[in-house]
Amino acid sequence: MIPAATALTETDFERFREYFYRRTGIQFAPSKRYFVDKRIDHCVRAAGFETFAGWFGALRLGDRPALLQELINQLTVNETYFLREDYQFDALLNAVLPRVLAARGGPGRMAGPVKILSLPCSTGEEPYSIALRLLAEWPHIDLVDVEIHGGDIDSEVLSRAAHASYGERSLQRVPKLWMSRYFNAVGAGRYQLDSSIRDAVTLHQINICDTAAMRVLHEFDVVFCRNVLIYFDELSSRRAAENLYSAMRPGAYLFLGHSESMSRISPIFKPIRLPEGIVYQRPTGAK
Amino acid sequence: MGLVRKAEPEPELPVVSPEDLIRQLDDPDREARRAAALGLEGVADAVEALLDRIGVEQVPAVRDAMLTTLAVHDTDRVAAGLAVHLASDDAGLRTAAAEALATMPISVPALVPRLLEDPDPDVRVMTAIVLADLPHPESLTWLAVLIKDDPHPNVVATAIDALLPSLGPEHRELLEGAVRRFPDDPFLRFTVEAALR
Repeated sequence: MIPAATALTETDFERFREYFYRRTGIQFAPSKRYFVDKRIDHCVRAAGFETFAGWFGALRLGDRPALLQELINQLTVNETYFLREDYQFDALLNAVLPRVLAARGGPGRMAGPVKILSLPCSTGEEPYSIALRLLAEWPHIDLVDVEIHGGDIDSEVLSRAAHASYGERSLQRVPKLWMSRYFNAVGAGRYQLDSSIRDAVTLHQINICDTAAMRVLHEFDVVFCRNVLIYFDELSSRRAAENLYSAMRPGAYLFLGHSESMSRISPIFKPIRLPEGIVYQRPTGAK
Repeated sequence: MGLVRKAEPEPELPVVSPEDLIRQLDDPDREARRAAALGLEGVADAVEALLDRIGVEQVPAVRDAMLTTLAVHDTDRVAAGLAVHLASDDAGLRTAAAEALATMPISVPALVPRLLEDPDPDVRVMTAIVLADLPHPESLTWLAVLIKDDPHPNVVATAIDALLPSLGPEHRELLEGAVRRFPDDPFLRFTVEAALR
């Protein structure tokens, strides 16, 4: 039960929704009211405020950025696990990377590394899954340099991604051989990814809808942006799509979540049908 | 070879003023124009410059970036400036304009009554496409008006398509009425039969 002092009226909720949308591009439907209320209550009390109004006033004033960051951390959904929607990693290895290598001249003749981005990367399972699949199964990994980047709006999950220590639920789909080869037991049923892999992944705190901030990401050959655009309204989705496009090389490939479709968001990508499903390509002529 | 960490942190990117970004909208390099369009997000003074270029920009990716930036404003001026392109002979432009207008629920509703009465049936077709995605409580009512009253079968068929995701038993009479209004139009009959199936 949420105390009356921190509870939101309908008007509070609408004002909050508008504020959060303008800051992050994430919009909550009225049906998410209970989810939002509970997490706001947590933020109000954790920050030492007695009322929603006092907390919201301080949040909007903007002189305590930690308030907004904690709110973002509370309201973003971060649950994931290793090798989730693995068929897309099959597509990466079997179809996309061979095309990338061919387009860039092939191993030994490429200028710069193959660059792969996972956005949002949450607690790191996705970029590290990509790393594991490449190390364990991609025959060209010893012939080319591969740079993997992860990005997320949530600073707390990025800290956990950097630490790369996981429990059974996250690791349930990781083969035993990979567990022994790439992970170290750290106690309490948790396993930490080997430092040689976690140190190779570059992490960024970034909002996919923030065009100025997204300028640091560029020249990617492959982008995984799965199960995030479904949280955005059409305008924010378009903005996110434009920012992803800017982060990609001409001819680069974009993976979305299995229930997402770029055709409903923006026409700027070309859908490519692969045996493993649809992937989207930044047109090669568009430079 | 193998996994490598990015060697150096990214250098600080220069901040470009809105005035320079507006000038950059005419850069010969399409990627520079696109970056300028996206960089002008939230700059009210850039609205006219962007609207001026929507109709002349030839690269769809640049035009889409301009539309994404313009749509954020969701003002009467932007809505009116984009609505003129619903009549364009360029299919890509009128579709892109319709997609942008469909993301502007604050300003577009005021335009809808006039668009529903536009003498050009192609504009009314595009209006139905806008209404298909416009998040506004009256969108379905306006589509029903087109289905019930519009004199052109293409407009009616497009409005029926737009209504499909929200179609319920209460719409049966509306759709059957459309078939009765155009008894010699096999495409409209097929559209309604498919919708009611």
